[in-house]
Amino acid sequence: MLETLMNQIRAGGPLDAAKLAVQLNTSPQMVEAMLEHLRQMGFLRAYESGSCSDACQACSLKGFCDPNKKRSTIQIWRYDEH
Amino acid sequence: MSVATRPASASLRDKHKRAGLPMIALAGQPNMGKSTLFNLLTGLNQHVGNWPGKTVERREGNFSMEGHEYNLVDLPGTYSLTANSPEEVIAREFILRESPDVVVAVVSAANLERSLYLVSELICLPVRLVVALNMMDVAAGEGLIVEPEVLEAALGVPVVPITATKAQGIRELLYIVRKALEGKTAYIPRLPEIRADHSEAYSDVLKLVAAHVPTPYPPDWMALKLLEGDLEVTRTMQSALPAEIWEAVHDILIQHDDAMLAVASGRYEWVGRMVRAAVVRPRLGQISLTERLDRVAAHPIWGLFVLAGILGLVFWLTFTIGAPLQAWLDVVIVGGLSKLAAAALAGAPWWVSGLLVDGIIGGVGSVLTFLPILVIFFAAFGLLEDVGYMARAAYVMDNLMHLMGLHGKSFLPLFLGFGCNVPSIMGTRVIDSWPARLLTILIAPLVPCTARMAVVAFLAPAFFGANALWVTWGLVLFSLITLVALGTVLNRVLFKGERSAFIMEMPLYHIPNWRTVGLLVWQRVISFVKKAGTVILVVSAVIWALSVLPGGEIETSYLAQFGKFLEPVGRLMGFDWRLTVALLTTFPAKENAIATLGVLYGGANESGLAVALTQSFSTATAISFLAVTMLFVPCLATVAVIKQETNSWRWTLANIAMFLVISIVAGIVIYNTATWIGL
Repeated sequence: MLETLMNQIRAGGPLDAAKLAVQLNTSPQMVEAMLEHLRQMGFLRAYESGSCSDACQACSLKGFCDPNKKRSTIQIWRYDEH
Repeated sequence: MSVATRPASASLRDKHKRAGLPMIALAGQPNMGKSTLFNLLTGLNQHVGNWPGKTVERREGNFSMEGHEYNLVDLPGTYSLTANSPEEVIAREFILRESPDVVVAVVSAANLERSLYLVSELICLPVRLVVALNMMDVAAGEGLIVEPEVLEAALGVPVVPITATKAQGIRELLYIVRKALEGKTAYIPRLPEIRADHSEAYSDVLKLVAAHVPTPYPPDWMALKLLEGDLEVTRTMQSALPAEIWEAVHDILIQHDDAMLAVASGRYEWVGRMVRAAVVRPRLGQISLTERLDRVAAHPIWGLFVLAGILGLVFWLTFTIGAPLQAWLDVVIVGGLSKLAAAALAGAPWWVSGLLVDGIIGGVGSVLTFLPILVIFFAAFGLLEDVGYMARAAYVMDNLMHLMGLHGKSFLPLFLGFGCNVPSIMGTRVIDSWPARLLTILIAPLVPCTARMAVVAFLAPAFFGANALWVTWGLVLFSLITLVALGTVLNRVLFKGERSAFIMEMPLYHIPNWRTVGLLVWQRVISFVKKAGTVILVVSAVIWALSVLPGGEIETSYLAQFGKFLEPVGRLMGFDWRLTVALLTTFPAKENAIATLGVLYGGANESGLAVALTQSFSTATAISFLAVTMLFVPCLATVAVIKQETNSWRWTLANIAMFLVISIVAGIVIYNTATWIGL
């Protein structure tokens, strides 16, 4: 299952964790756990955006990249292969 | 494993062994309630120190039950038993070397998918395992039905449901632990399996290493860890094995370098089976609603139409509600305040009256009049963020960019640029390749930020009336096409051969929390007002001073002389010297365009700034000015962050020059084309 997930990720492009769960015939929670595991193994990195605290005061997306606001923002993982 | 990682807890253990105390170890991933259970059992009868040679906290204590005393060791929180961190090494070394009589694995009933992974490793070790199924209340609150007896049957080890925070199920847990200590519980663990194409390799490695595995490590566990690529185990076995055997083992490991994933995959399949057996996850209405909405909102094609429609709605609201309110504030409040101040300062020196009426009220006042426009922007984006839509917007945009060949790595930082270019440029740190990162930094300011959009939202209705929506759309599209064109070149030239993926865990759609949205709007409005009271106030005052000095006439002022010096370039784009100066003042902050126009035109027409501007310029000039504003040199904060991130004045100045050229060329082309077609 983890290998199939990794193969999907290796294919590149944007991926939706919920759709991956459907493709792998598992739950989004399982995909979330596997993504965290892949991060632990060093395959993935959690996306770190610029610091929102430095953004212009008029920034309408301020808070979008705040990982503590998971209720309304996305958790983004990145995979790079050279 | 190396001697250095061996927990030197032998003296303590020996002391407890001498005292005849059974030793129980608590294992679990972080945040599973392990410490709560430890505190509950030991109370004040515990001591805290460090694991020898480590900065990791070691907690140990005693507790009694029904006349029997037990020794309890709280192992560090670990996700697995692979040597990824000091905590994981400590936990597994303790279990293997100190052989606790029972290991209690604390897992979360609310997140079994994650917490059972550690159990899949513990269950393979030669210890008695009891699973404490914690957070039963949280699981119930989330609508999950977790069946402990089914999980017990599936795992083959005792499972006890508890809620440590409410001290529920603790007595039952201790009863089972006691029975386990006495060997009176059924213990037929069902172990994860390794995939068939790696099982032969596993057997071969096991055969080669079995006779050489140092005590007390189980050979089968060591063989599995070798396949997983565990560095500590690899080092240990490399030094323990004769060279020729190590070479044979090494050859197998090289041939099966994907075994690391295969072993973990086998464990996840095992976890999946356990979860499927023991957890009933009712399909919540909210989830199915999210799925239904996402069929359209996150669809590669329809999602773009939804995004375009939502942006159109935001613009429409801005022009329908925000623009009239802005005009009203401009005429009634700013105009009224100007008259009032002029009357009150009739006897004051000319410069006091001028500075306050034309400079501060004309400049800062004009900027503050577009608060309604900004409030609609902030509220709309805050609402979209709070309901969970912004994640979908990022997803469909990423999809589109990916189809166009734009690299995902550069897309996400660029997307943040719609809010502000500063975090957007800082976000390029995700790009490892320096040329690619540099080029992304250089093109990032092409994304129209909120401040730029607000300026356009202010000016577009004044210039174009009912057509403002389409003009604004066109300008956004124009910026994005330029961005995609440059981004595609970037991808083809600099990201060639690289692959990248972004996996997004999107939130469920929520009913908006109006308090959160209201608070967000309030905070941003306050921040904006502060900006108006600082940067914009200073620029307004300076612009006013330069517009009246030295003789009090605007046409002979220093500002006019400066503007007229640059006017030949401005004329190519249809600008007079005032518009040229207004454009230049966007450098400290984009909103200064309005402040400057307010100072230079505000007093000229009692109907307000918007009407004054409409009467002063042709449509061709207006559209050219808006396009140039969208593409002009980034604001000071953005330039500063470009300098910080590139650590080069050369690239910073090159970026300024690039946007100067792009905006001027675009202005010339647009103005002349618009004039040619008779606008």
